[in-house]
Amino acid sequence: MYYYVYDEFVQDPKFERDLSLIETRLTDLGIAGKIARLALFRDARELIRDEIRKGAKSVVAVGNDATLRKVIDAATDQDVVVGCIPLGKEGNAIAGILGMPYGVDACDVLSARIIEEIDLGSVNAQKFLNAVVFPAVGNATISFDENFTITPYRKCTIEIRNLAVPADDVRAADPTDGRLEVVVRVPQRSLFGKKVATTVVPATRIAVKSEKNTAAIADGEVFEGTDFVFESLPRQLRVITGKGRKF
Amino acid sequence: MAKTRPEETIIAHGVRVEGDFKSQGDVLIEGEVAGNVQTAGDLRVGTDAKIHADVTAKNATVAGEIRGDVQVAGRLELLESAKMIGDVTADVLSVGAGALVNGKITMDGREVKMPKTKEEPESEE
Repeated sequence: MYYYVYDEFVQDPKFERDLSLIETRLTDLGIAGKIARLALFRDARELIRDEIRKGAKSVVAVGNDATLRKVIDAATDQDVVVGCIPLGKEGNAIAGILGMPYGVDACDVLSARIIEEIDLGSVNAQKFLNAVVFPAVGNATISFDENFTITPYRKCTIEIRNLAVPADDVRAADPTDGRLEVVVRVPQRSLFGKKVATTVVPATRIAVKSEKNTAAIADGEVFEGTDFVFESLPRQLRVITGKGRKF
Repeated sequence: MAKTRPEETIIAHGVRVEGDFKSQGDVLIEGEVAGNVQTAGDLRVGTDAKIHADVTAKNATVAGEIRGDVQVAGRLELLESAKMIGDVTADVLSVGAGALVNGKITMDGREVKMPKTKEEPESEE
């Protein structure tokens, strides 16, 4: 049984045509299901958990990465498959990594049901799918699996990645390898201008300790602290992916 | 140094590593390391790298400085800028003109104990 979670923003009239096409295509493919519409004071987690208890086996986020995160948050540790139908101009990076095409085209991918078991990461017991970024951190020490530490010499950017697209200086983070990937970018001055030296280390358990209160962004959500403990949580989530997935 | 390959752990300039650094894949070191370095894969040490550690690797190419004993199961290549202070064990050794080696070199085919890879679980023995 499919359960479709429409984010609040897709209820805007400008998405009316997209939704109509999606609903028609889902019916044609025989995978139409119950629809929930998120609203400001509606607890998405409770709504989704309730429907899973009632027998939903596939929960599909209709919206952007934020919608998908709400679904993942509710679906973790549950016997369900998570999918998504990306809508909206921005914030569809996760859908892109999963190989889900935009709008109505995603319906056929959902119907094909290529399911992958992927890892999640946790930071201070809060789960994340993509990455946690410390945009500017000074005097920090990173401990790896309690074996060794890395200390950057100057203010740097630290990124702990679970599922991420490749960048110029770093490969894609594979969410099926049971490990997180730590990327430390330290700015360097040279005769030819500024450069960035990129350190990349995979690990399963990581601790970041900073002398001062530091801001971290976990999948778009900002929080602050001085001690952060990261862990890889292998095979926590079953997701529907497309052929164009990036892992 | 050559362009990095996928699956490589990279310790770049601007960071210092302390402790027992173990890896199952290929490793590139261009920063500073103190402690121990063990990899079941290939190790490359960049020109500006400074390693104060005992090193174990499958194969190694060194262009920087290592102060500590080095054990390589296969081929150890010391480039012109390499500086090694410590004993060296390798199966095959290549030394570039200008490379500095202060220590005992052993090439008697003795087995080098490597860290276990994921595909090769530790035996009960």
